[in-house]
Amino acid sequence: MPFYGSEPESGSPGRDLTLTAFVLLFAFGTVYLPSTTQERISSALQVSALRPFIAMQGLLTDVGARRVRVEALQVTVDSLSAAMSTHQAVADENETLRDLLELQERAGATYRPATIHRPGTPGSESTFLVDVGTRDGIRAGAPVVSPTGLVGVIRETRTANSSGIDWTHPDFRPSAMLADGSAYGLIESRRGSFREEDRLVINGIPFHEPFDSGQAVLTSGLGGIFPRGIPIGTVLGVAEAEGTWRKAYYLEPIAEPAAATHVLVLVSDSGDDASQVWAQDTVGVIAPGGDNR
Amino acid sequence: MNEVDVRTVSLWILVGLLFVLHFVLHIGLSYGRGAPDLLTLGLLIAARETSLGRASVLGLTTGLLEDAMSVLAFGANSIAMTIVAAGGAITRDLFVGDSRHFLPAYVFMGKWTRDLVHWITMGREVRQPFVEQVVLQGAVGSLYVAGIALGMSWLLGAWGDV
Repeated sequence: MPFYGSEPESGSPGRDLTLTAFVLLFAFGTVYLPSTTQERISSALQVSALRPFIAMQGLLTDVGARRVRVEALQVTVDSLSAAMSTHQAVADENETLRDLLELQERAGATYRPATIHRPGTPGSESTFLVDVGTRDGIRAGAPVVSPTGLVGVIRETRTANSSGIDWTHPDFRPSAMLADGSAYGLIESRRGSFREEDRLVINGIPFHEPFDSGQAVLTSGLGGIFPRGIPIGTVLGVAEAEGTWRKAYYLEPIAEPAAATHVLVLVSDSGDDASQVWAQDTVGVIAPGGDNR
Repeated sequence: MNEVDVRTVSLWILVGLLFVLHFVLHIGLSYGRGAPDLLTLGLLIAARETSLGRASVLGLTTGLLEDAMSVLAFGANSIAMTIVAAGGAITRDLFVGDSRHFLPAYVFMGKWTRDLVHWITMGREVRQPFVEQVVLQGAVGSLYVAGIALGMSWLLGAWGDV
C-alpha cells in the first residue's frame, strides 16, 4: 500500500492549467532575468529560508577549524611536556653536580670527578664503569662516593677508565663503625629474592653493644682500603643474632647506586680520614627514611 | 480528524522533513553528491497530494531555493522542479499508484527527468557531457533516491500496519 493518499485535492482544471502555465513561464523567465536581479533573489533566499542551513555550515566549519587548532595546541603541549621532563632530568643532574663540587671543595684534590656507566648486560649487575683510570691517579680498591656517601669500590683499573662494584655486590665488604666510634663491624650485602630486596648488613657486632635505630654507620678506616668517615647508611634493626656473642643489623643504605650518575673517586695520594668531608652535611642529618639520594 | 486527514497531515510533515533534511545534508553538512536528492523526492510525493497548479508553485519554490545556491545556472533548477512537479501531479490522473513497484519507478523517472531538464536548461558553458551528467550520474542519483523511496515506503507501510 503506498504511503501517499489516493484521493488528492483538486481545484478547477482551467484555473490549475492557467496557474501552471504562469508558473512555468515565470520559471523559464528566471533564466533570462538580469544577473543583478538573479543575485538579489539569491541573496534574499540565502538570508531568509536558507539562512539556518548556511549558518550550520559556518558553524561546522568553525568547529573543524577549532579542532585543528586544538590538535595544534595538543602538539605544542606535548612538546612542552617533553621539554619539561628533560628539563627536570637536567635540573636533577645539575643539583647532583653542584653537590659533588661542594664535596670536592671540602675534600680537596684527593678525589677525582667521574661519570658512571652501567654495562646493562646479563651478569653485569652491581658493576659499573667510570671514565677515570690510572692516568688520573685511580687505583684498584679506591672508594667511589656520591654527595651522600659510599657508592662502591674500584676493582680494576685501566689507563682511561676503571670498573668497580657497588654496595649490592656480594664482594663489597668495607669495615664500618658507628658514627661515634663506639662499635665496629663488617659491611656485607645480602641478596634478596629479587634485586629490590637486596639488603645492606653490618655484621660482627658484639652481642651486648647497644645499636639504636637511626644511628649513622660510617667507614672505619680499618684495613687501609676506605678512609675513615664515609657515610654508609643508618641502622634499621636486628638482622640476626648468634648465641650471645654476635649480632648483625640491617642498614638503610645512604647512597642509591642506580641513581648515581656522577661520582667522586678517591685518588692514590689521599689521606686516611674523610670524616670532615661529610661530617657537616650528611652524617649529622642522617635519619631513617631520609633522602638517600 | 478522520483517517484520511491524519494520513495527509503526516505526509505533508514527511515532505517538510525531506525538504529540511535535503538542505541540512547539502548545505549544512556540505555532503554534496554523496547525499541523496531528497528535495526532488519530497516534491514528487507532494505533487501527487495536491492540485496541478499548487504542485507547480511548490516546484518553482523549491527550484528557486536550489537556484539561490547556484550562481552560474540560475533558473535551471526552477524550470526542472516546476516541470517535475507538474508532471508528478499529472501522473495522478494516469496512474492510481496502488502497486508497491509504482513509487520507486515513479521516483526514479521523476528524478531522472529532473536531471535531464536541468542539464538542458543550465547552459552549454556550465554543464558536463550528456553521458556523464545525465546517463551515468543521473541514473545513479535516480537509483539512490528510488532506493530511499522504497525503504521509506516499506518502513512507513509497516508502521501503518501496526
